[in-house]
Amino acid sequence: MFEPAALALIPLLPALAGAVTLIFGPKFLKQQSHLPLIGACIASFLISLVAIQSMGSESGAREVSHHAGIWFSTFGSNPVNVGWDFRLDPISGMMVPMVLFLATVIAVFSTGYMKEDPGYPRYFGVFSLFVAAMTLLVLADNIVLLYAGWEGVGVCSFLLIGFWFQKPSALKAARKAFMVTRIGDVGLLLGIFLLWSGCGFTLQIPTLIEKARQLPDEYLYLAGFLLFVGAMGKSAQFPLHIWLPDAMEGPTPVSALIHAATMVTAGVYLIARFLPVLTLSPDLLLVIAIIGGITAILAALIALTQNDLKRILAYSTMSQLGYMFMALGAGRSDISSHSLVTFAMVAAMFHLFTHAFFKALLFLSAGSVMHAMGHVIDLRRIGGLRHVMPLTHIAFLSGALALSGIIPFSGYWSKDEILVALDAASHGPNRDLVYKILTWLGLITAGLTAFYTFRAYFLAFWGEVKIPVEAFAHGHDGHGHEKTENDLSVNHKVNHDPYGHSSDPSKAHESPLIMTLPLMVLVPAALGIGALFGPTHKMMDFLGSASGFHQDHGDHAASKWVALASQVFGLCGIAIAFVLYVAKPSLATSIKKSAGVGYNLSINRFYLDEILTLLFVRPLQILGWLIQALDRELWDRLVDAVARIPAWLGDKFRPVQNGLVQFYALAMALGLTIFLVFLAFGDRLFR
Amino acid sequence: MNQIMDLPPGLTHYLAVGALLFVLGIIGFLARRNMILMFLNAELMIQGVALNFVAFARHRGNLEGQGFVLFLLAVAACEAAIALALILVLYRTQNSLDVSLWQNLREEGLEPIVDEEPLPLAPLEEKSPSLTVAGPGPAQPEETSHV
Repeated sequence: MFEPAALALIPLLPALAGAVTLIFGPKFLKQQSHLPLIGACIASFLISLVAIQSMGSESGAREVSHHAGIWFSTFGSNPVNVGWDFRLDPISGMMVPMVLFLATVIAVFSTGYMKEDPGYPRYFGVFSLFVAAMTLLVLADNIVLLYAGWEGVGVCSFLLIGFWFQKPSALKAARKAFMVTRIGDVGLLLGIFLLWSGCGFTLQIPTLIEKARQLPDEYLYLAGFLLFVGAMGKSAQFPLHIWLPDAMEGPTPVSALIHAATMVTAGVYLIARFLPVLTLSPDLLLVIAIIGGITAILAALIALTQNDLKRILAYSTMSQLGYMFMALGAGRSDISSHSLVTFAMVAAMFHLFTHAFFKALLFLSAGSVMHAMGHVIDLRRIGGLRHVMPLTHIAFLSGALALSGIIPFSGYWSKDEILVALDAASHGPNRDLVYKILTWLGLITAGLTAFYTFRAYFLAFWGEVKIPVEAFAHGHDGHGHEKTENDLSVNHKVNHDPYGHSSDPSKAHESPLIMTLPLMVLVPAALGIGALFGPTHKMMDFLGSASGFHQDHGDHAASKWVALASQVFGLCGIAIAFVLYVAKPSLATSIKKSAGVGYNLSINRFYLDEILTLLFVRPLQILGWLIQALDRELWDRLVDAVARIPAWLGDKFRPVQNGLVQFYALAMALGLTIFLVFLAFGDRLFR
Repeated sequence: MNQIMDLPPGLTHYLAVGALLFVLGIIGFLARRNMILMFLNAELMIQGVALNFVAFARHRGNLEGQGFVLFLLAVAACEAAIALALILVLYRTQNSLDVSLWQNLREEGLEPIVDEEPLPLAPLEEKSPSLTVAGPGPAQPEETSHV
């Protein structure tokens, strides 16, 4: 019923769409450039759904695979044959439709958001290439192909962060994102090399996982750690997280798709894929869990005080990704009673799944706000938007509820599973204390998450109506990035108001239908998808049938207290946010003043950017300066000196050319004589 | 030496004469600075070479050397025509046949080598008008040689 070769179409169609859009977009498609992308995404989405249906029975290995020929191969004693190998198994089967569905919805949203942007074709072209690379990454059956997709999404991310390259800040952010994730990519590449050479020079992921079980502990730890370094870079885990907040310089739909829902989860996907073998190294699991925990709590603490709506969401993404890594780190198999591998993997992937929907929804809502407010996203300058933008308000509220993990919305089901997994891991032998601490860290993070999400929600949508002057200045055309200082100053003069507030809400209005429609599609998905798959065990049935895992309906109810605790923490967070930002806003100011040091740490992101700059960037700059100086002062001068030898010689011989014909004739005759003498008597002279 | 003189005329004698002509040519070429005489010395060298060709052709009993000499003579004739024409032009410019007056092609920045005993210059002659005229040219003084 399903031809496996069609698997190759899933990444191929968006790639073709990207090529078509980039080649023909600027001249012919122009404002219709979104059509190839949306068409390709819908087609690929349908193909992936059919493919999942045909994955086979519950009993056997549920997968479809297709080998579409050789990409490249090498010669030698250990030849490398990299083929176009695609495989759809439950893990990728969860990711692919999710990616394509969200890509479709966000592409539709983008048609409204990016309307009349001069780079419209470029935007959709790169967007298509991103979708192609992401599906390639997820569907790849050999690890080189996975790496190709991995780098592909990195490049597209770079291009889209720097989409408005006229802005120096966007350029800088794009470069930073590329460089920081590159550090991780080097780790991933080294990890791939280690696995490849340790596992009998195979590249197929299932074979690798199977053979890696026999590796010595230290070897496995090192290889796994290097893979995790790659995941840290891509998924913005501490200390390689610094690129993600800056990545918000890109267009907001890009943030929604790439920096919230799909690309940043590639690291989680990678580790989940290799979890059956990584679990054999408990130390590695502990490292993963601790890094995840640090990221989760750190990002949540930073998000508490940020004033930029998109940055709050970015830190929230980091925090949730930390959650997923915590869950993966809880996949212990050294617990005598029960192996947690499957449970942990399902928890992480389930959270990835629900998070993708509600975080995409939150970002799109933020994008809708930005669009209506003339690209102003500062929470100090907007307020009371629920009267102005009712649909966006509903969308943001739904996303916030899901993110905060309030029962029965989707965040609850997945976050709860993670906490249960962590709690179950803390009942094992040794290291239980660390996992106990991590469980509490997760709970506190849940409370903080609820607080900062609803802080943003209340600040933006409640209170008195505050609309920035930019919202009127440009007629909601979404071209805030084109505004000039001139425009701003004129408006300030007219309003006589430093913030340019206006209390006339009638002029600002909701985003157009093309943007609110995707929001309305995502609202039920974000709210209900957790309840649809979580308590019904559908997710477990589906993901547990992946090879290397097993069905795990084990009763972890012994730790149901965490569910209750997370509810308490979450509701407390919302309540505090309500009190501080709606009921008694004066209280927030006084708390801000009394918590001086903590507030400063949080708003300055714990000075991590500065610390990392001091520790790594400055030494590298000094090294670069030294190398440059060495190059210029030593090597260049040596080369110059060599180059001066012929000139010097020429200077010495120049007087020979004196213009006297007799002299030339004499020199010629003498030279000829010497030559002839050597020819005639040379052998006798040099015997 | 006596041995050679005693022998009946053979290859060696011809080669000796050829070498003699060639060396005389070189010496003359290097020693003289009158362009016409230098040219004549060059011709002398060519004849020495031609003699060698003929001698070897005779010695080996084939005609290749002879053929070469025919070509050589033809080339020498052409050369004479061109060289004499050039010399004439140069003489008209500098009023002298002294080759050392033509140092202009030396390397930039070098001082010209000053001739201690220059050849006497020919007296300035009346130049013909540059345009051709319909009638006969102006009366020319009788040519005098300063060689």
